[in-house]
Amino acid sequence: GSSVVVSIVLLNSLPLDWASSLIQRAHCTTLLEVHNKRWNYVLLRVAEAGQRRVLDDATRQRRLNRQLDALEKDNFQDDPLSSLPPSGPTARLPAFSEGDEPGKKKRKTRGDHFKQRFRKNFQTLLEEENLSEREEPNYLSAAAPPSSLPPRLFCSVCGFPSPYNCCSCGGRYCSTRCLQTHRETRCLKMTL
Amino acid sequence: MATLVLDNGAYSAKIGYSHEKVSVIPNCQFRSKTSRLKTFTANQLDEIKDPSGLFYILPFQKGYLVNWDVQRKVWDHLFGKEMFKVDFADTSVVITEPYFNFTSIQESMNEILFEEYQFQAALRINAGSLSAHRYFHENSQELCCIVVDSGFSFTHIVPYCRGKKMKDGICRINVGGKLLTNHLKEIISYRQLHVMDETHVINQVKEDVCYVSQDFYNDMHTAQLKGEDNTVMRDYVLPDFSSIKKGFCKPREEMNFTGKYKSGEQILRLANERFAVPEMLFHPSDIGIQEMGIPEALVNSINNMPEEMQPHFYKNIVLTGGNTLFPGFRDRVYKEVRSLAPTDFQVSVVQPPNPISYPWEGGKLLAENPDFDEMVVTREDYEENGHFICEEKFDI
Repeated sequence: GSSVVVSIVLLNSLPLDWASSLIQRAHCTTLLEVHNKRWNYVLLRVAEAGQRRVLDDATRQRRLNRQLDALEKDNFQDDPLSSLPPSGPTARLPAFSEGDEPGKKKRKTRGDHFKQRFRKNFQTLLEEENLSEREEPNYLSAAAPPSSLPPRLFCSVCGFPSPYNCCSCGGRYCSTRCLQTHRETRCLKMTL
Repeated sequence: MATLVLDNGAYSAKIGYSHEKVSVIPNCQFRSKTSRLKTFTANQLDEIKDPSGLFYILPFQKGYLVNWDVQRKVWDHLFGKEMFKVDFADTSVVITEPYFNFTSIQESMNEILFEEYQFQAALRINAGSLSAHRYFHENSQELCCIVVDSGFSFTHIVPYCRGKKMKDGICRINVGGKLLTNHLKEIISYRQLHVMDETHVINQVKEDVCYVSQDFYNDMHTAQLKGEDNTVMRDYVLPDFSSIKKGFCKPREEMNFTGKYKSGEQILRLANERFAVPEMLFHPSDIGIQEMGIPEALVNSINNMPEEMQPHFYKNIVLTGGNTLFPGFRDRVYKEVRSLAPTDFQVSVVQPPNPISYPWEGGKLLAENPDFDEMVVTREDYEENGHFICEEKFDI
């Protein structure tokens, strides 16, 4: 977990605009404001020079899962066909999702339900199998168990073995040069 | 009456009549940036003049056939007049499916084969079963074998005894060629040059320069050395599709260790990527996947088998699938299994000369087998009994 440095600034005697500019200049974030008959104060998280935001385990796991999911993609660019300008009066252009040639009536009479059934994605089909009700062995039980060996750790920048990990996000690095590259390019970027 | 054998993989279809030879054809459609309106199917890939930023449309997702629109288009092309000119009423088909294929997909397959294409007869079977059949054909004195099928989507470890697969021993590692290529694209894009859109090119890079290390930390150390001492480093020339049609690895004599290259070629300098990428098959935890690697999974599967069979499995490990083509793969699997297996067991790891078409060859042998006619389901059978008869006869 991360430790938070807090400061309570009593506002009772300070002019409000002076107080808010003080808070802004000190690079603090307001956690809580209280304005009632007895008290006027603000609870602040003070960001000290050099202190960086630290991600907790759940966020780190989410980041890792997202990286792993990205490795499953077929393409990282868009479909060239979908980037074409939409056709106006030219009805001769094929429909974007089909790619069928116009005028071919071959299997058109099969009907929409046929196509609907044959277009489900993997996750839907897996859920339909309802494997938790089925006996083992099945697709889910066949998955390889975790390794009994400890994981090997590599620098996220250069790929060589890495003894250290970044305090903020857990990314691994092997030297101060790689740490610097990491901080500039990847650390805390694209975080949920 | 001809028999068409089709090993329907997520990356490539290995197809051919049982009396002819096999063809390996991409099992997907492509779109290119330059001719945007046209969709290229399967081997029409060769017609594309500029395959940069090639867009893939695959019928498979995570190793299972989910997009029938695309699959039918590929099959129309393969079965049609430009390729195999199939006379459906007079042809039986042997077609492969992944392990634990979903019921809905199996039923769709039945419908498409019998109602749409109207094949005379069909046999649906796992690719590994065809490999086992092929193996036992050559090693008829052996009773058991364990097949490692490492392909595009995943890797399966499957024990076979007397021709039947042992379901309790089936182990699936979710690392396949697709993951390796995507990971290589990611690290090259981060370290050198943005190639996230160039699946086709980087796949070729992977096949040309990657290898399986026999001594991982030693190679890591060598890869960090400077200049000519770094025997691991290679420079790869990327294709520009005008003068250089296909990428290639520069021979070591031509490599420039000190300065930059003067020519206008785009070069990738690869060192630890060469062996760190295939390493994911042996240690998926390197990248954060909490699963065993191939050698550990092999030993795990065998340990789930009855004790008296275990020595027989260790003696008959068969490697199939495209990923086994990395140089050094077979030796590394042997070394790791040997160190994990009990000392009094004999360990033998076999890699056939062509691991990609090995299942197809098994299908060819099966088609020539005298019992073949009893194994298939004919169209009449299906029309009378429906999906039930396929469930009964086929062991998927």
